[in-house]
Amino acid sequence: MKYNILQRLLQAAAVLLGVALLIFVMLRIVPGNPIATMMGEHADAATIERMTAELGLDQPIPAQFCRYIADAFRGDFGTSYSLGKPVSQLMKAAFGNTLKLAVLAALFAWILGIGCGIIAAVRKNGVFDHLFMGVSLLGVSMPVFMVAMILQYVFAYHLHWLPISGTDSIKGFILPAVALGWNSAGSVSRLVRSTLLDILQEAYIDTARAKGRRQWGVLGIHALRNALLPVVTMMALQISSLLSGAVITETIFSINGIGRLAVQAISGRDIPLLQGTALFSTAVVILGNFLADCLYSVLDPRIRKEA
Amino acid sequence: MGQNMLEVRHLCASFFTQKGEVKAVNDVSFEVPRGRIVGIVGESGCGKSMTVRSVMRLLKYPGKIVSGEVMLDGRDLMRLSGREMAAVRGAEVSMIFQDPMTSLNPVMKAGKQVSEAVRIHQHVSSEEAKRRTLEIFEAVGIPEPARRYDSYPHQLSGGLRQRVMIAMAMICRPKLLIADEPTTALDVTVEAQILRIMKNLCGTGTSVLIISHNLGVIAQICDYVYVMYAGRIVEQADTFTLFEHPMHPYTCGLLNAVASLRLGREKLDTIPGVVPNLLHLPEGCSFSLRCEKCSGICASKMPDLMKTGEGHMVRCHLSGKGGES
Ligand SMILES: Nc1ncnc2c1ncn2[C@@H]1O[C@H](COP(=O)(O)OP(=O)(O)O)[C@@H](O)[C@H]1O
Ligand SMILES: [Mg+2]
Repeated sequence: MKYNILQRLLQAAAVLLGVALLIFVMLRIVPGNPIATMMGEHADAATIERMTAELGLDQPIPAQFCRYIADAFRGDFGTSYSLGKPVSQLMKAAFGNTLKLAVLAALFAWILGIGCGIIAAVRKNGVFDHLFMGVSLLGVSMPVFMVAMILQYVFAYHLHWLPISGTDSIKGFILPAVALGWNSAGSVSRLVRSTLLDILQEAYIDTARAKGRRQWGVLGIHALRNALLPVVTMMALQISSLLSGAVITETIFSINGIGRLAVQAISGRDIPLLQGTALFSTAVVILGNFLADCLYSVLDPRIRKEA
Repeated sequence: MGQNMLEVRHLCASFFTQKGEVKAVNDVSFEVPRGRIVGIVGESGCGKSMTVRSVMRLLKYPGKIVSGEVMLDGRDLMRLSGREMAAVRGAEVSMIFQDPMTSLNPVMKAGKQVSEAVRIHQHVSSEEAKRRTLEIFEAVGIPEPARRYDSYPHQLSGGLRQRVMIAMAMICRPKLLIADEPTTALDVTVEAQILRIMKNLCGTGTSVLIISHNLGVIAQICDYVYVMYAGRIVEQADTFTLFEHPMHPYTCGLLNAVASLRLGREKLDTIPGVVPNLLHLPEGCSFSLRCEKCSGICASKMPDLMKTGEGHMVRCHLSGKGGES
């Protein structure tokens, strides 16, 4: 088990390094000079050349990469071209907001999704089943920006229950989190429902009932844990879609988060900032998958390695 | 106290499908005397599982009990509320299933699944439940009980899993143990061990109802046998009589098939034809289409169960004449 975790951690580090290299190379082989873009149309050739040398962009790519990695280990991700501040500082400021948004969205999606999935499965073909599955179909088929706008219109503009944007209080995060989590809630609830319905047909469910467990005992003690296995896998996969959804959500709700930084970086050809945000997202996805793997082996003894 | 632990009277149970009502259990009556082992035998699909699942009130959807009485030690289980029935399951009547590979929860330790059965029905500490689990593991012949307690099902062999199932079923000392083809998925040597364990347990005061499509299993442990065909009991007798003087052509066919196997004859004596579709049963006797001795009345009228000897009943118009072949 210990060995397994160590192995996974090394794997994760290798993936991270590979992705860093990929981002790095890609950003440098796209045509166009980022410095020229940054300085605007009126910059003269001499200034551009001086800036390029100053930022080390005239060096060969392998050398640039090694320096970048070495700096990154010290927590230095370079200085943003467009905002003129260290990337690490910009990301630190944005990280808190994105974290709040993502955690709230994930909690919303997973609690609601699992809860509704269970109720729908237990009362199969009942009112709630049809209602939840109808709504969840809307959930999985509506794009994030549309959900966001509907929520803004109804709850902020019309009912004035919640702020339309801004992050002064946690209240400001509610609508963005719901908008962001909406899709995941839909797919989680559908998955929970179908998995649970399958599992309720398993022989060990009969065994549990035959030993005297009543409905909720059978469900909570025997069915749920088995049903959660595929859900954990799905949740890990959803982390990356939550992150890309965060780009849109943060923009619509004007939240200063990593997603918005990424948008700024792309539109400004801001290579250090773009590298920083991309690397951050990759790290989060890898970490999420790692945690999901750990959770999976806690839940399912069959994949644990024999001690 | 009556002398029967279980009495099932006129049980009817059906699957309500889109194509119509599948009468899987059709007016079935049988009993299990105290401290006895009773068997139900019949081909796959004749309604054996449905019959015993009705006793547990654990039918698979879309199956439903239509009518009938199920008296366990004098109490009609059909009249109990869902909650009362749950209290009976595992405590007074318990059941083990055909496939030990799938009938244990894969993510729960074997020992926990057994001690759970105690803790559902009795207010005992988890230590006490564990102690009793280890005790019953010992009794059903699980080697190294303490180690097996912490094993997960996938770490156990089929035979061990079925022992765990038996332990789970027996730990509350039920009045009745129902075993639905408990050895079908196991190989022959393990089968013999499992049957011996069940026979021993029966000696400790639990009555046993065992289902099989295998006459060999029935012959080994049963005191009394019911033969089922297409949802009905077609013959019933004590084991000796049934094997020595079978009356129903279906029973004779089953026995001949086994005998020809054992004698290693060139040609296997099988019963011609297939089990009829329960949605379209023939007008008269359900077996008439496959019966060599089928005559006029057989195709038009369903025979009643008729007594042909002490404790011996047969559902055949020709009983008495049609007998031993
Ligand atoms: N879901 C179902 N829908 C309709 N008929 C079913 C269903 N499940 C089983 N049956 C029918 O019920 C009959 C009895 O099944 P069962 O009690 O499992 O037989 P056995 O245990 O004797 O093999 C079978 O003939 C089968 O075709
Ligand atoms: Mg069966």
